[in-house]
Amino acid sequence: MEASAVVTVDRVTKRYAGHTAVRSLSLEVPRGGIFGLLGPNGAGKTTTIRMLLSIITPDEGRVQVLGQEGAGRELSGRIGYLPEERGLYPKMRVLDQLAFLGEAKGVSRWDARKRAKAWLERLGLSDWGLKKVSDLSKGMQQKVQFAGALQHDPELVILDEPFSGLDPVNSQVMRDVVVEFARSGRTVLFSTHIMEHAEKMCDRIAIIARGEKVVDGTMAEVKRQGGKTHVALGFTRNALAAKQVLADRSLVAQVDDAGASAEVGLAPGADPERLLKALVAADVGLSRFEVVEPSLQSIFIAKVGQEAARPVAQEVA
Amino acid sequence: MNKILAVIRREFVERVRTRSFLIGTFLVPLLGGIVGYLPAALSKRETATRTIAVLNDATGTVARRIDSVLSSQRIGEDSAPRYRVISIPAHGRMDVVRDSVIGLIGRREADGDAPVGLLILTDSGIESGKVSYLGSDVTSFRNMENLDHSLEPLVRDERLERRHADSALKVAASIRLDLQTQKVTEGKITGESGETSFLLAYIVDMFMYISLLLYGVQVMGSVVEEKTNRVVEVLVSSLTPFQLLLGKVIGVGATGLLQLGIWSFTGLYIARVLGGHSAATVMAGDTSQAGFHMPNVTPELVMIVLAFFLLGFLFYSGLYAAIGSMCNTAQEAQQAATPVTMIVVVGMITMFSLINEPSGSLAQILTFIPFFTPLVIPVRYAIAPLPLNEIVLGAGVMIAGILGVVWIGARIYRVGILSYGKKPSLRELWRWVRTA
Repeated sequence: MEASAVVTVDRVTKRYAGHTAVRSLSLEVPRGGIFGLLGPNGAGKTTTIRMLLSIITPDEGRVQVLGQEGAGRELSGRIGYLPEERGLYPKMRVLDQLAFLGEAKGVSRWDARKRAKAWLERLGLSDWGLKKVSDLSKGMQQKVQFAGALQHDPELVILDEPFSGLDPVNSQVMRDVVVEFARSGRTVLFSTHIMEHAEKMCDRIAIIARGEKVVDGTMAEVKRQGGKTHVALGFTRNALAAKQVLADRSLVAQVDDAGASAEVGLAPGADPERLLKALVAADVGLSRFEVVEPSLQSIFIAKVGQEAARPVAQEVA
Repeated sequence: MNKILAVIRREFVERVRTRSFLIGTFLVPLLGGIVGYLPAALSKRETATRTIAVLNDATGTVARRIDSVLSSQRIGEDSAPRYRVISIPAHGRMDVVRDSVIGLIGRREADGDAPVGLLILTDSGIESGKVSYLGSDVTSFRNMENLDHSLEPLVRDERLERRHADSALKVAASIRLDLQTQKVTEGKITGESGETSFLLAYIVDMFMYISLLLYGVQVMGSVVEEKTNRVVEVLVSSLTPFQLLLGKVIGVGATGLLQLGIWSFTGLYIARVLGGHSAATVMAGDTSQAGFHMPNVTPELVMIVLAFFLLGFLFYSGLYAAIGSMCNTAQEAQQAATPVTMIVVVGMITMFSLINEPSGSLAQILTFIPFFTPLVIPVRYAIAPLPLNEIVLGAGVMIAGILGVVWIGARIYRVGILSYGKKPSLRELWRWVRTA
């Protein structure tokens, strides 16, 4: 194990009544940067995160956070957490609420209030500090919760599906905050099933499905492991003919078809030029033909597979 | 420790800030005062002179004396006469005259002089003591009692006179028995009457019952609220379930003590201001205005009540918190809590039989069942101080009960607060307790 690892998960298994949520999972999150925990619904992301925070204990294996084993709660002052299930006390004033969350992390009362005020200002919510939480819009409540996870200046922030349910503007605000946070040398671990977010933000990722790790590494490593030559395509007509060309398994191993555009992974040994010739011959009105790095989306689908992308069981909430 | 303080402070401040707390704290004693005072005040109020017909078929002068005694009574001091008496001699036509007078009673169209009632005097009635009064106001407790009190000596004197008793005998015969009760505890006269002692035990019983139920249910509500709002997950990432639970219980308990304190204070104040005008004295038929003696609340009793409120609250809030953590909504929790609530209600009702026999075998047994201990010991103490060893043993049983409840409750709570969906079966609960 690297000494610099902030989080080390070593062959961890967690079983629930009917099924195994996490199976012999090993992960390592190095210090600094943004780590993406990717997987379809029900893959075991939330269960893994809860074990990191010692909210639940693993049945087998070891979890080490900030160099200590099974001590998530004693370390909670150094960890920030945004759960998937958002929740605040609806009748509490926003400022009191944030200050309380800070105090629960061990920040002193006056310091907690000061920090809460600063964060409200930063997120443009200064005028709402004395309002009740229930008076805020959903997006504002999300921001407040976000501030709650970050205000005590933790070394490690764990965000479970942080961008779900946010409009593009607020989503951007939060992403900027996360990126800036990671840039200051701290570590961000977030889970998502939206690959575009992960692709834009993450330095490292791990993909898990059905409780097991499918792939992990730096973004470049994962893409290299994706192996195949990927080509991004755009058509202006005759999509049906294009489909027939792409169905040729000696040429194309994998298709992520989006109708007027597609990303394909070439079959082993196939040459991009052969594909180009075939497409030109099919007269599809080619508007784009570019050999690209595989997108995370296509890697995800290749690794997890359509079948596994379906949830195994209800995600253990 | 600071984290627990933060939870306590949040629970306390947010609770005290709510409108329902303010209303509950200040309106309840006010309403209580009104409920206690109004009937008494209203039933004391007499507005107008009432006309009573006296149908006389008796020999002698008794009718005339009744006439003069009733006519001389006044409403309050120096105000209107209470009764206007119409004397009607029967002249042997009793039934006819009676029926025609009854025909006038309670008729709306009749003017103010119409009689509200008819008193029938016959020789046999005077001898047997069964004097008839037919009227529209017979449901008035106060009117009937006043009539009874006014007539009793006159009829008695008439009977004595018919037997030619002298006046000294009449005076001697008119002295009534008045049993003077005084409570003796531990060989000392306390100066309390039996009634005040009963009243005190009753008040203590109600106080314990209401406070245990009220604040126990509040702990449950607070647990469920955090679950339905999904705040609980952030909280358990920072706090241990034990810190969260302990802070919550202490916070609610402190709110409870504050509220109970304000209630007791205003209650005592109202009782003192109203003095003898409370409903209780009117119900007890105490028209003598002698007043209502405040029961003798000793500091020891206050300490026992507070101590066992705290023990009982810890015990029951542990149970209620466990139940709350298993449920998803407040309604569901209320249903699931019914068995526990029933136990408290049963305990409260059992105390009534206990007041009659505070040292009986039932009382002895209930004292050492943790579900009932917090009700039994203060009530028994209010009647007569208990030996110290019984109190200590009761407290010991309570502490053992609390440890048991907290041990099981905290385990259920730990798993329950993160479980959504179907309420767990008993078997699942047992697994929670074992695995947590």
